[in-house]
Amino acid sequence: MDKQEKQNNAADTKVSIKGYIALAMALIVFSGIFAGAQGWISAFDFDTLCGKFGTMKDGSKATFAGIGGNGAKDGFLFALGLLPSVMLAMGIIEVVEHLGGLKAAQKLLSPILRPLLGIPGITGIALVSSLQSTDAGAGMTRVLYDTGEITEKEKLIFSAFQFTAGGTVTNYLSSGSALFSFLTVPMSIPLVVLLVMKIVGANIMRLYVTKFCKEELSS
Amino acid sequence: MNDKTVIDVFVDGAKKGWHVGINNIIPNVLMAYVCIQILKLTGLLDLLGNVFAPVMAIFGLPGQAIMVLISALMSMGGAVGVAHALYTNGVLTGAHITILIPAIYLMGSKIQYLGRLLGTVGVNPKYYPIMLGISICNAVISMFIMRLLA
Repeated sequence: MDKQEKQNNAADTKVSIKGYIALAMALIVFSGIFAGAQGWISAFDFDTLCGKFGTMKDGSKATFAGIGGNGAKDGFLFALGLLPSVMLAMGIIEVVEHLGGLKAAQKLLSPILRPLLGIPGITGIALVSSLQSTDAGAGMTRVLYDTGEITEKEKLIFSAFQFTAGGTVTNYLSSGSALFSFLTVPMSIPLVVLLVMKIVGANIMRLYVTKFCKEELSS
Repeated sequence: MNDKTVIDVFVDGAKKGWHVGINNIIPNVLMAYVCIQILKLTGLLDLLGNVFAPVMAIFGLPGQAIMVLISALMSMGGAVGVAHALYTNGVLTGAHITILIPAIYLMGSKIQYLGRLLGTVGVNPKYYPIMLGISICNAVISMFIMRLLA
């Protein structure tokens, strides 16, 4: 019965014009009719979009990804080349956490949170976690609010802090590592700028909630 | 819970890194590379470069750098991929990357974080515009700062 209904539904389904365009595009891209094309039209060829792996012409400059690759294949090898740094960074962060390093950071932070961000010291754990994982930070902030540890205003300020450059340390050290070798400054400088700007962003929100949200949020 | 050795903990972390890489970084970067390939083949990349050249010049960047910022809104990893692809194509230099890198994170993954962060915390959606505004404002300031340092 169910099966038959499904089949009937499938037969009745209306196909939108978008569907036909999509199908036509897919046929064009996979058919290879523009395989040898030059110029913009070559963007409609699957093989051209797959691109090519680079070649190792010059041992001193080329990595395993080679030189002169492009498209999906070059992107894949490039991304694959990121994984060792990501795994290493996450491994190290996990060990630091295991050894109590994050708790230490939280203890150092707690007394300065009120003057710096206008949020209570109890948010220390959530703050340090948010630098490591956006989702962990968000979850902990939710709990802090639900248990009445932070007010609506503090929640907004704290959310603004987390929202810009979420998961800062993990994200910067993992995907950012692909760009570190091109930087003209030490890799720690942009990270410091990130943290400073997070504080600046939170304080813009702090200013905003104290100026404009007095009545609605005080109750 | 505490009978784990440091080695076990490290390996657990590295596994998390592997999953992040496989589930987030590789698909996002691959998408970024294909987008750049399409923009390049169609000539749109040069067009965007010309259109945004005056705006991006304020930060000491070529017009094509706007692609890094636009893709950052969707995914940080994708923006890194775009930056890398543009560097490989000779469009961006090391100094350009230095200017861009904090902005990638400050305004990065905004679309996902609306749900993953603000949604989870339970922030009233009427504050979303100001939250987004602060992120973009932060990114702009960071590019000025990095321009002085790069």
